[in-house]
Amino acid sequence: MIQATDLAKVYGEKTAVAGVTFTVEPGRVTGFLGPNGAGKSTTMRMIMGLDAPTRGTVTVNGEPYARHRAPLREIGALLEARAVHPGRSAFQHLHALAATHGIPSSRVGEVIDMTGLGAVARKKVKGFSLGMGQRLGIAAALLGDPQVVVLDEPVNGLDPEGVVWVRNLVTYLASEGRTVFLSSHLMSEMAQTADHLIVIGRGRIIADAPIRDILDGQGRARSRVRTDSPAELIALLAREGVSIAAQEDGHLEVTGLEPREIARAALGAGILVYELTPLQASLEEAYLQLTRDDVEYESHPAQAGGGAAPGVPATAGPATLREVIR
Amino acid sequence: MSTLTSSAPASSANHVPGPSFLRVLNAEAIKTRTLLSTTILLLCAVALMAGFAALQAWGTGEFTRAAATDPEAAAALAQQGGDIALTIPTAAVSFTQLIIGALAVLAMSSEFTTGMARATFSAVPQRLPVLAAKLLLVVVLAFVVTYSGAMLGGLAAQPIVQEYDLALDLASQDVQRSILLNGVYVAAVAAMGLGLGTLLRNSAGAIVTLVAGLFVLPIIFQLIPGEFFEEARKYLPTNAASAMVQWGVDPVAGSQLLEPWQGALILAGYVAALVVGAAASLKARDV
Repeated sequence: MIQATDLAKVYGEKTAVAGVTFTVEPGRVTGFLGPNGAGKSTTMRMIMGLDAPTRGTVTVNGEPYARHRAPLREIGALLEARAVHPGRSAFQHLHALAATHGIPSSRVGEVIDMTGLGAVARKKVKGFSLGMGQRLGIAAALLGDPQVVVLDEPVNGLDPEGVVWVRNLVTYLASEGRTVFLSSHLMSEMAQTADHLIVIGRGRIIADAPIRDILDGQGRARSRVRTDSPAELIALLAREGVSIAAQEDGHLEVTGLEPREIARAALGAGILVYELTPLQASLEEAYLQLTRDDVEYESHPAQAGGGAAPGVPATAGPATLREVIR
Repeated sequence: MSTLTSSAPASSANHVPGPSFLRVLNAEAIKTRTLLSTTILLLCAVALMAGFAALQAWGTGEFTRAAATDPEAAAALAQQGGDIALTIPTAAVSFTQLIIGALAVLAMSSEFTTGMARATFSAVPQRLPVLAAKLLLVVVLAFVVTYSGAMLGGLAAQPIVQEYDLALDLASQDVQRSILLNGVYVAAVAAMGLGLGTLLRNSAGAIVTLVAGLFVLPIIFQLIPGEFFEEARKYLPTNAASAMVQWGVDPVAGSQLLEPWQGALILAGYVAALVVGAAASLKARDV
């Protein structure tokens, strides 16, 4: 089990993680989903005791990571990028790590077989492909047969066969009662693997719910609205917790309001609404909806002609969603 | 998948071994001997010392032969005083310290440049045992390489010094003391290198800083006129070391060096400052 309480990391001016509280439960795969730069890796480094939190705490099986007598036996992690000296072989790398915990060589052989590295275990890591590097990272994470497994973007660079392998592996680990915490910026990956989802954007938790609930879009009603006076309707509806996206073909997508509330507000203001459709989100849509305003490196399309209400971004270029959040 | 584990995972059982110092030392020893480049450089350092000692023996021999006929050379020889053959085995120490110093820097900086640090310090979250294990390893390796290189050099020099009727008794107290003190000096350079590598986490930056401290600063201090720099120069690491290795040797007339014990203390001060700084930085900074 991993428990984070008001966990925050600030680098100078930049807030990477802004006080997150969450629990990763054993016996299921918990996905950690968010766009690049959302704070996933920073959070994982704090779990592993590599980065010191600016504020708050995070514990693994009830203790801060560094307090465990045999940390590799508690939690194993694959963190972003490679954590191997390129001049050593996979076997030598794992052997050195195992030595710190008195883990026998037989276990090194086991994780090498398990991750399918047998054929290259004696070769220098320098020549490894990204996928082989990921497999070596996963082998290192499993070395201590830990209760908790943290994998940062494990399917990065893996071939389709490898992706399926990771999926089966994490499902199996969770079925054994282990805590599995898996990060990704790919929602499609999460839909296939995770039981529970924690969505992070700009260092804040946006959603923490079973994947089913997020797919159902619970708590965030979403409607498609067509009206002749979009600017007026946006001005009318915009408030805390409501996001409105002006779509290319002229309709609006309103999130955070029940259709009845929209209709009532429009009626009260005398605005004609000729379509009001409740929307069912796919995970992809749900994710975009959740993180759109939390994307740090957003690509801004060129601004098209004017005509937008004050405070509302002009209608955007092709196939782009713009929205207002108050 | 059935190979993963034979039983359900157990949570924090007390009998499982953790990263004790000896285990960390073992892990670091594995890391050291599994890098081919390290082994090659260490052997090069030994070979370099042996070869340089032979060259030095030849040069010294020619010098003494010239002194027999040339009064100018004789005067220069007289000015050097002491036992001229004493420094033959350790002739290459200034090169050895460069190789060993760079290796010691890399022992820690490569952890950070390759990302290995994330794995290393996940396994040993207390961090300081890793620094201590690396320190022990580089210091012992530095000493062993210098000592064995100097002894090999002394042996290689034997036929040459005999050719020139010079005496170099490797078993004599003076020669042994000189070799041991040079070994201690190179070990100190290794400790300083490891400290710099830990502080800067950047291989090139730390090696350049080490070289600047050992070789460039003394030259700069010598070039700047004024009594202050003449006095301050004595306290630089290389000059303090030069004073230390003169232990038990009559000082050369007009020597610009401190007393040997003062030199040893100053050198120890540099080592302590860098190692303590490295430990504090390693403990405090994010990996």
